Amino acid sequence: MIQLQELTKDYGTTIAVNKLNLNVSAGEIYGFIGPNGAGKTTTIRMMGGILAPTSGKILIGGWDMSKDPVMAKKIIGFVPDRPFLYEKLTGLEFMQFSADLYDVSPESFPPKAEQLLRQFALWDWANEIIEAYSHGMKQRLIIASALLHDPQILIIDEPMVGLDPMAVHMVKDIFQELASKKITIFISTHTLSIAEDLCHRIGVIHQGTLLAQGNVSELQSIAKLGEARLEEVFLTIIKENTFL
Amino acid sequence: MKTIIALLKPRLLSSLNNFRPDNKKNIWIRIFIFGAIGLFFWAGTFFACWRVLLYFQSVQDFGNILALKLLTMVVMTFFTLLIFSNIINCLSHFYLSLDLQILHSLPVSARDIFFSRWLASTFDSSWMVVLFSLPVFLSYGIIYKAGIFFYGVVLLAVIFLALITSAMSGILVLFGAKILPAGRIRTIIIIVGFILILSLVMVLRLTRPEQLVNPDSFASAVLYLNSMQAPASPLFPTTWITDAIKDALFGNFQSSLFNLALTGSCACMLIFFADIISQRAYFKGFSKSQTTPERLFRAAKRRFFHWENLLLFLPRTAKAFAVKEIRTFFRNSTQWPQLFLMGALIIIYLYNFSVLPLDKSPIKTVYLQNLFSFLNMGLASFVLSAIAARFVFPTVSTEGAAFWIIQAAPVSLKTFLRIKFFVYYFPLLIMAELLIIVSNLLLQVSSFMMILSAATMFFLVPAIVAMGVGLGAVYPDFKSENPAQAATSFGGLIYMILCFTLIAVVIILEAGPVYYIFMTGIRNQVLTNWQIAWLTGSFIIALLLCFLAIVYPLRLGEKSLKIR
Ligand SMILES: Nc1ncnc2c1ncn2[C@@H]1O[C@H](COP(=O)(O)OP(=O)(O)OP(=O)(O)O)[C@@H](O)[C@H]1O
Ligand SMILES: [Mg+2]
Repeated sequence: MIQLQELTKDYGTTIAVNKLNLNVSAGEIYGFIGPNGAGKTTTIRMMGGILAPTSGKILIGGWDMSKDPVMAKKIIGFVPDRPFLYEKLTGLEFMQFSADLYDVSPESFPPKAEQLLRQFALWDWANEIIEAYSHGMKQRLIIASALLHDPQILIIDEPMVGLDPMAVHMVKDIFQELASKKITIFISTHTLSIAEDLCHRIGVIHQGTLLAQGNVSELQSIAKLGEARLEEVFLTIIKENTFL
Repeated sequence: MKTIIALLKPRLLSSLNNFRPDNKKNIWIRIFIFGAIGLFFWAGTFFACWRVLLYFQSVQDFGNILALKLLTMVVMTFFTLLIFSNIINCLSHFYLSLDLQILHSLPVSARDIFFSRWLASTFDSSWMVVLFSLPVFLSYGIIYKAGIFFYGVVLLAVIFLALITSAMSGILVLFGAKILPAGRIRTIIIIVGFILILSLVMVLRLTRPEQLVNPDSFASAVLYLNSMQAPASPLFPTTWITDAIKDALFGNFQSSLFNLALTGSCACMLIFFADIISQRAYFKGFSKSQTTPERLFRAAKRRFFHWENLLLFLPRTAKAFAVKEIRTFFRNSTQWPQLFLMGALIIIYLYNFSVLPLDKSPIKTVYLQNLFSFLNMGLASFVLSAIAARFVFPTVSTEGAAFWIIQAAPVSLKTFLRIKFFVYYFPLLIMAELLIIVSNLLLQVSSFMMILSAATMFFLVPAIVAMGVGLGAVYPDFKSENPAQAATSFGGLIYMILCFTLIAVVIILEAGPVYYIFMTGIRNQVLTNWQIAWLTGSFIIALLLCFLAIVYPLRLGEKSLKIR
C-alpha cells in the first residue's frame, strides 16, 4: 500500500531523509523508530503530502503523491506529531469540517461522529471550543477525525504522546482491529514497548537512512543479540550505525 | 538587573538573528522598503504640520492661539494613543503571549519578569508614536525659530510621556487582570477603543474643519475652537508636558525646566508604584489569565434557525470552509470588533459625499460630477483594498499551525485558494457595489458614469481579492499570533502597492477616453474613428489587466505553497 522509492529530503542545512526505500503492504502495522532528529517526522510529513520531497517517489495505494495528491490523500488518515487545530471551532464542528473535506456522506456522518466521539471519550466535550481541550484531548480528537472517512491507510506520528493509559490501550485495540480489516498503519514512536507489542514490522532510522527493518526476532538476529529486548536491539543498531 | 537583561536577551537575539547571512527573508530589501515608506510618511507629517503652522502664522491676532491650541491637542492625542497602545501591549506582554509559560517556570521572581516585560512593552507601544511626534515638534521649532534648548526639552518630554503612559497602563492592567481574565479585558479594551476612535472621527467630521479655510466662517470657527477648552488642569501630566514644550518654545527656560522636572519625577514615581504593585498582583493575574474565557455568545440549544443552512447552495468543501471562516472570525474577540471600524469607514465615506456643496461651485456641475465620480471610483477601491489588506490578505496565514489539516486533506491547493477567494469575493463585491452606487447617487452622476463605475468595480473587486489571497499565500506567516500583523508585513505592503498600482492604471485607462467622449458630447461633435479605437483599446487593456490580476496571483500562491 505504501511505497517509498529513493525518498530524499534536503533542508539545505541538513539532509533529513536520505534515499529511503520502503514497502508496507495492506493490513500491516509498520513501526518507525529512531533517535530524535532521525528524520521520522520528515518522512511522515512527506508521506502525508504536507512536505514536498527533494527527490524520490511516494506511492500511496498506487497513487503517486506528487502527481495525484488528491486521490492519494483521500485514502489516508493523517495524524501529525503536534495537535494543532482550529482553536475556535468546537470538537463536533471540527469533525463536520473534516467530513466535508473528505467527502463523508452527510447521512452517515452524525452516527459515525457520535460513535467515534463516544469511543474516544469526547462526547461530553463535543460542543466545547477546542481551545479549552487538554493536549491529550486534542490528540484524541485528531485521531477520531482521522478515522472518520474510513481511510485505507493510517499515518500517525507519535500517536501515544499525551494519551492516558486507558486511551493508549484503546488506541492499540483500534489499530489491531483495523489491521485485521486490511487497513495499513504506519506509526512512528519512541515507546518501544508499543512497537514491540503492536507492530508487525519495525524500521530503525538514523540520520535519514534506514539501518534495519524486520520483525522483532529479525532485528534481534541483525543486532546479533539473542532474546534481547527491543530497547537493547535499538541501542546496538544505533551505536553500530552500519547494519543492513 | 542582570536577570532583567537576561530576560530581554531572547528578544534581542532573535531580532539580530534576522541579519544572519543564511536568513532567507532578504532583510535588507525589507528594511529598505519599510524605511522608504516610513521616511515618506515622516516627511509628509512634517510638511503638513509646517504648512498648517505657516498658515496660522499668516492669520493676524489668532496665529499663536491656534498654534498653541494645536500643540495642546497634539499632546493630548499622543497621550491617549500611548495609553491605548500600552494597555493592549501590556496585556499581551504580561499575560497572553505564549512564551510566558516558560518564563514563569524559570527561577526568577515575578517582579523581574514583570519589569523586563514592561520595558519591552513600553518600547513596542511607543517607538512609533515617538518617532512620528518628532516631525510635529520639529515644525514648531522651525516656525518659531527655537534654539537647541527646545529640542532637548522636547526629546526628554516625549520620553517622559512614553514612560508615564506605559507605567499608568501597566498599573491599570495589573489591577484589571486581578478582577477579570486578561483575554476578556483585551476584548473589552478593543471594543472600547474602536468605539472611541469611531466617535472621535465622527466628532472631527461633524465640526467641519474645512470651515477654517473658508474666510467667511473663519472668525466664528476660531471663537468656537477657543471656547472648546481643553482640560488644562495643573494636575494633569499632559498640562506639564504642554507647558514645558510651550515655555521652551518661547524661551522661558526656568518654567520649562520646572515642568520638565515635574514630568520626570512623576514618571519615576509611577514606575516605582508599578514595581510595588507588580510584586503583589502580577502572578495572581497571570494564573487567572490562563483559563479560556467562556464564549461571549453561546449557541442556544436546539435553535430553529441555523445560519449555516443559508450557505447550502455552495459546493460541499466550499461551504465547509465558509462556515469555518465565519465561525472562527466571530469567535475571535480580537477580530470581529474590527467590523465596527469598517462600518465607520464606510459611513464617513458616504457622509463626505452627502455634504459636498456641488451646487455652489463655479465650475460646470456636470463636468465636476464626472470628475468626482472618477475620484470616487478610485477612492472607493482604495478603501476596498485597505479592507482587503486587513481581512483577505491574512486569510491564508490565519490557518496558522493548523495548516497541516489542509495539506493533508484531499483538497488541492488550487481548490483551497479558490474557495478562499470566493469566500471573500461575494461579501466584498456586494459591499463595493453598494458603496459605489450609493455614493454615485449622492453625487447625482449621469447614468453612463453610474454604469461605468459599477462595471469597473465588478472587475476590480475580484482582482483585488485574488491578489490578496494569492500574495497572502506567497507571503504566509503561519506562526503569527495575530493575523492583523500580516497586513503590515512585507508581503502586505507589496500587496497594497500592487493594488494601488492596478487601481490607478485602470482608472487612468478609463478616464482618458471618457473625457474625450464627454467633451465631444458637450461640443456636439461626433467621435472620430481614431477616438473609438482608442476607447475600445483602452477598455480592453483595462479588462485584460483585471483578468490577469485574478488568474496570475492565485497561480503564484499555489506554486509557492506547494514547495513549502
Ligand atoms: N523545517 C526544518 N528546516 C530545517 N531542518 C529541519 C526542519 N525540520 C526538521 N529539520 C531537520 O531534519 C532532521 C530530521 O528531523 P525530524 O523532525 O524528521 O526528526 P524526527 O525523527 O521526527 O525526530 P523526533 O524524534 O525528535 O521527533 C533534523 O536534523 C532536523 O534538524
Ligand atoms: Mg518527530
